[in-house]
Amino acid sequence: MSNEPILELRDVAVDFSGFRAINGLNLQVAKGELRCLIGPNGAGKTTALDVICGKVRARAGRITLMGQDITRLPEYKIARRGVGRKFQVPSVFRELTVRDNLEVAYCKRLGVFANVRRLGRSAERNDLEKLAELVGLEDVLDERAGYLSHGQTQWLEIALLLAQDSGIILLDEPTAGMTAQETMHTAKIVNALKGRHTLLVVEHDMAFVREISDIITVMHQGRVLAEGSASEIQGDPAVREAYLGQRGIAHA
Amino acid sequence: MISQRQTTHRLAAYAVFCVVILLVPLFVSDAYLLNKFARYIVFGILSLALSLSWGYAGILNLGQAVSFGLGSYCMAMALKLRTIPIQTGAGGLPDFMVWNNVHTLPWFWEPFHSYAFTLFAGLAVPAVIAFLIGWFIFRARVSGVYVAIITLAMLVVINLVIIDQQRYTGGFNGITDLTTFKLFGVEFGAYSVATYYLAAVILTLLLFLGLALMNSKTGLILQAIRDDETRVRYFGYDVANYQNFIFCVSAAVAGLAGMLYTLVMEFASPTFLAVPISLSIVIWCAVGGRASLLGAALGAIVVTGVQGSLSDSKTFLDTWMLIMGALFIVVVLFLPNGLISIGDVIRGRRQRRRRAAPARMPEHAEIAAPGRSAAR
Ligand SMILES: Nc1ncnc2c1ncn2[C@@H]1O[C@H](COP(=O)(O)OP(=O)(O)OP(=O)(O)O)[C@@H](O)[C@H]1O
Ligand SMILES: [Mg+2]
Repeated sequence: MSNEPILELRDVAVDFSGFRAINGLNLQVAKGELRCLIGPNGAGKTTALDVICGKVRARAGRITLMGQDITRLPEYKIARRGVGRKFQVPSVFRELTVRDNLEVAYCKRLGVFANVRRLGRSAERNDLEKLAELVGLEDVLDERAGYLSHGQTQWLEIALLLAQDSGIILLDEPTAGMTAQETMHTAKIVNALKGRHTLLVVEHDMAFVREISDIITVMHQGRVLAEGSASEIQGDPAVREAYLGQRGIAHA
Repeated sequence: MISQRQTTHRLAAYAVFCVVILLVPLFVSDAYLLNKFARYIVFGILSLALSLSWGYAGILNLGQAVSFGLGSYCMAMALKLRTIPIQTGAGGLPDFMVWNNVHTLPWFWEPFHSYAFTLFAGLAVPAVIAFLIGWFIFRARVSGVYVAIITLAMLVVINLVIIDQQRYTGGFNGITDLTTFKLFGVEFGAYSVATYYLAAVILTLLLFLGLALMNSKTGLILQAIRDDETRVRYFGYDVANYQNFIFCVSAAVAGLAGMLYTLVMEFASPTFLAVPISLSIVIWCAVGGRASLLGAALGAIVVTGVQGSLSDSKTFLDTWMLIMGALFIVVVLFLPNGLISIGDVIRGRRQRRRRAAPARMPEHAEIAAPGRSAAR
C-alpha cells in the first residue's frame, strides 16, 4: 500500500511487572486496510491491541494515529479519536437489553449534560434496529444481554462496533466459538467494512484469515516475525518454526 | 427485558404510590402520626438519593449521611438565626455560642440570614463536597468496596469535626430551639399538614425527575458503567465525569432530605450524619430494591415504618430488632432485587418454566445457540 499509515507503532514495548510481553514492535497500517495479526499463544497479539487502545501503557516507543501521538492518552480519548475495540473475552453490558447495549455504543455525543437532555431517541432507534437485523439479533432486541448465547454475544459485540462506527476497528478473535457458517457470515461483514474502516484483526482461524486479509503480520515473542500475503507467510520457515510445538499454522 | 408495556406498568406503579402518599393527610388527622409519616417520607427521599448513585451507577456511598446532615444543619442555622430568644448575647448570637464565649457571629453563619441562600446551600454544600471527593476517587478509578471505605471514613471525619467545633456547631447537642420555617406565608411546623405535603410533593417530583434522568441517555450510560465501567471507556465516554455527576446529584438530593428533616424534627444533630443512619440507608435501599427509585423509597418507608411500630408496641419491645434482622435476611436471600421485584420474580418464574432452555446458563445456551443465528 502506498497510502501513508493511519496507525503506526514504533519500537513499542510493554512490561508486565518485569515480563516483556511486547518488545520493539513495529507496525504500520494504511487507511482502509484490513490487517490480520496472527501468532502462537502468548505472542503478544492481545497486548498489541491493548496498547493501541490505551488499556495498557507502553514502556517505550511511540504510537501515532493519523500522525498524532496517542501513546499517553487515556482510553476514552483514544476512543474519541476513532479507535473501536472488540475484546477477546466477550464484554457486553449484561444487565442491559440488546437495544440499550447498542444505544450506549452509538456514541455520537459523549458529554453528561448533552445526554441528560436526550429523552426522545427515535431517529437513532431505527438505525440501531437495522443494525440488529444485520447480525441477526432483531428478535432479541428487548432481551437482556446476559441471557444471550455465546454466539449471540459475539454478534452483539460486532454490532456494538458497527454502532460505534469508529474509523479504526481492533478485533480480537471475532470468530472464537462460532460455527463454520457463522464464521463465514462474520467474514462477509468484515469484508464489507474494509475500505471505509481500517481494521486490525487478531485471529487463529486461518480459513477466516485467508478469506478477509490483504496482508498478514505474524507476531512471535512480542515482536513482528514476518509480514506478507497468506501464501508467503505459510511458506516462511521462520513462521513454521515459531508454530512448532503448536498445532501448526494451517490449523492454528 | 423492558418492553413498552412494562414501562407503562412502571409509570402506573409510581403514580399510584404518589397518589397514596398525597392522600394520607385526608385520613390521618392525628398530628403526631402525620409527623411520623413525614419522617418516613423524608427517609424515602434519602433512600432514593442512594438509589441514584448505588442502584443505578454502582457507587456504594456509605457517607450519604454527610450530605443529609449538612442539609439539615444548613436549615437549622437559618432557623436558629430567626429564633427570637436567641438574643441572649450581643447582636443576636445563637445561645450556644454565647455559652461558648463566642462574641461575634462567625462569617459562615452570616449568609444564613437569607432563606434563598439557605435553600441553595442545603443543596450546593453537599454537592460541592461530593464533587471534591468524587474528583479524587473517580479520577483515580477507585471502585467497588474502596469507594465504600473512603466515603465511610469521610463521614467519620466530618462527624468528628462537627462535634469538635462546638463553638460554631453546637457540638454534641446540635442546633436546637428553632423557629418555624415560613415561606410565602405558609408555616411549616413539624406537626403541620403543610410540612407533610411539602415532603410528599418533593418525593413525588423526585421520583418522576429521577425516572426521567435514568431514562435519558445519561441514565443509560450510568447503568452501563455499573455493569462494566471499563468497557464504557472504549466507546469514548469519560466515565469519571458520569460517576461524579450522579454522585453530586445524589448528594444534593440527600441534602434536600436533610433540610426537610430539620423541619420535621425541629433540630439538627450530629447523629444525623453518623454511621448508624448511613448504614440504615443502605439497608432501606437493599430491602426495597436499589435499582428502582420507587423500590428504594418504599424500602425506607416500610423498614422505618415497621421499625417504628414494632419498637412502639409493648409486645415486641424486646424482639423487634430480631424481627427486623429476619426480614433483611429473608429479603436478601429470596429477593436480591428487593421487595419491588416481587412481581418480576413471579412473572420470571412463569416465563422461565415456559421456555425450553434455561436462559441463565451459558453452557447450555452455547450448545443450543449456533443454529439460531447461523440460519440468517
Ligand atoms: N495482565 C498481564 N499480566 C502479566 N502477564 C500478562 C498480562 N497480560 C498478558 N500477559 C502475558 O503477556 C504475554 C502476551 O500475552 P497476550 O495476551 O498478548 O498473547 P496473545 O498473543 O493474545 O495470546 P492468545 O493467542 O493466547 O490470545 C503472555 O505471555 C501473557 O502471559
Ligand atoms: Mg489474545
